[in-house]
Amino acid sequence: MSIEKFMQNAVTGWMAAHGEHSDIVLSTRIRLARNLRGYRFPIAFTEKEAVEIDRSIANVLLDEEENGYSYMRMSDLPALERQVLVEKHLISPQLTNPAKHGAVILSKDETVSVMVNEEDHIRIQCIYPGLQLEDAYEQANQVDNFLENQLPYAFDEEFGFLTSCPSNTGTGMRASVMMHLPALTITKQIDRIIPAISRLGMVVRGSYGEGSEAPGNVYQVSNQTTLGKTEQDILADLGNITSRLIAHERKSRELLLAKSRIALEDRLFRSLGTISYARLLPTGEAARCLSDVRLGIDLGIIQNIHMSILNELMIFMQPGFLQQYAGTELTQEERDIFRAKLFRGRLNQEKEYASTEKGNEEE
Amino acid sequence: MYCENCKERPASVILKQESMEGSVERHLCEKCAFHSQTFQFDPSHEPLSIQQFLAHWFGGADPFIAPQQKKEIPKGPECPECHLTFSKFLEIGKFGCATCYDSFRALLPRVLGKLHNGHSAHIGKVPESFSGLYAIKRKLEEIRVKMQEAVEAERFEEAAELRDEANRLKERLDSGGGEYNVN
Repeated sequence: MSIEKFMQNAVTGWMAAHGEHSDIVLSTRIRLARNLRGYRFPIAFTEKEAVEIDRSIANVLLDEEENGYSYMRMSDLPALERQVLVEKHLISPQLTNPAKHGAVILSKDETVSVMVNEEDHIRIQCIYPGLQLEDAYEQANQVDNFLENQLPYAFDEEFGFLTSCPSNTGTGMRASVMMHLPALTITKQIDRIIPAISRLGMVVRGSYGEGSEAPGNVYQVSNQTTLGKTEQDILADLGNITSRLIAHERKSRELLLAKSRIALEDRLFRSLGTISYARLLPTGEAARCLSDVRLGIDLGIIQNIHMSILNELMIFMQPGFLQQYAGTELTQEERDIFRAKLFRGRLNQEKEYASTEKGNEEE
Repeated sequence: MYCENCKERPASVILKQESMEGSVERHLCEKCAFHSQTFQFDPSHEPLSIQQFLAHWFGGADPFIAPQQKKEIPKGPECPECHLTFSKFLEIGKFGCATCYDSFRALLPRVLGKLHNGHSAHIGKVPESFSGLYAIKRKLEEIRVKMQEAVEAERFEEAAELRDEANRLKERLDSGGGEYNVN
């Protein structure tokens, strides 16, 4: 498959790199955890219950026409396709266990995904590009109301929405923003910021893994508590912290430029060189260079490359996507070869765009 | 008896693993027990797993203490629906069903408070069907008070009208509050 075709098919809504503050905030995600009354939670339910839950949720959503939902049962999907859905952030790794009667219902543009029989019966998720907490919540809330109109929810006057894990009880809402914070990382300020944020009831973690390490300088900031606060308060608090992080990051970028412009330019261009010419590109190096190139684009140091390159390649460089691109299973070394090839292909695409645009200008 | 895992060293630790499906006993040597699952956490869980967190706060099984030193803690109430006990809930960090919340209600504010900055009551969104029901219940209360007043003031005609309205509301309440307009 040609790289253009592959990318066209694989790019999903949130990778588009627009929306507010999209130079720093890559995406916004809202997740609502819900359960149906009268059925035990997935940790304890019977197969019969699982099947009934799956059927009733699918029936309700597939009747809806506006969002153009499609349904995928985990046990029907090959392992590679499940992995690709995880890498696109459309489902969680937990859902991929085919023995658990999990399924996902995706809207046509993939901004809404409803996971069935994950840790809870229903997990509604909306991902938007850039910083769009209100809009993403509005969308998730609509799906929630739609489901709630036709299905009996497990809700309690005192505890709110009842979830399998007590850390989700109440609103059942997890709001998160994915942020690219290279300057705060280079200047090591992030090490002081993370503990400070966690005192405010929010969590910061690397977006690829769950540890504090953040390959590619991409961090995820989300609310930790779901009880005793309204949805609007949670969104406002998260929005506040995000704005402060954005301001800090911008200031650090200015500082870096003012203090050591040549050293910074050198580093960013070397990284551009690496991803343009490397023949073997391991994950860690790819993530680091990609972050540098994106910073270069944001600062106007690197020109003629679109900023969506980070959003896209960050996802496509993962094992599942690489293997889908290659059309076969790959060993780790083969993956490094394909990753290098994918990056070169994507950068060539940029050059072609740039030269046609130039050509058009000259005419 | 030799360790089930390495089959080299004598088994000195009995490791009891309990899950929702039942419990499994494994006989291991100290070395294998140390490297066995009790000390590993599912990487898909959050860095400070909620099990660890709850166990730590409520004196349940501490994953850093060898299993034979495990303290017996009282089982607490049991959920009639999924048969999860409160102590088991603390151990696995998950509810088995919605009825668990009812069964452990009195004990939950403390657990939830630890996880949610001291909060244990929901103040966020209320689903429409629930707010509809609440509205009917509240209205019904109001009518009953008015009816009482009407009877006392010997305004029987008005009391009869109120009674009819109350009956209509009760019917709606029984049918799940469906078409009732909250306003």
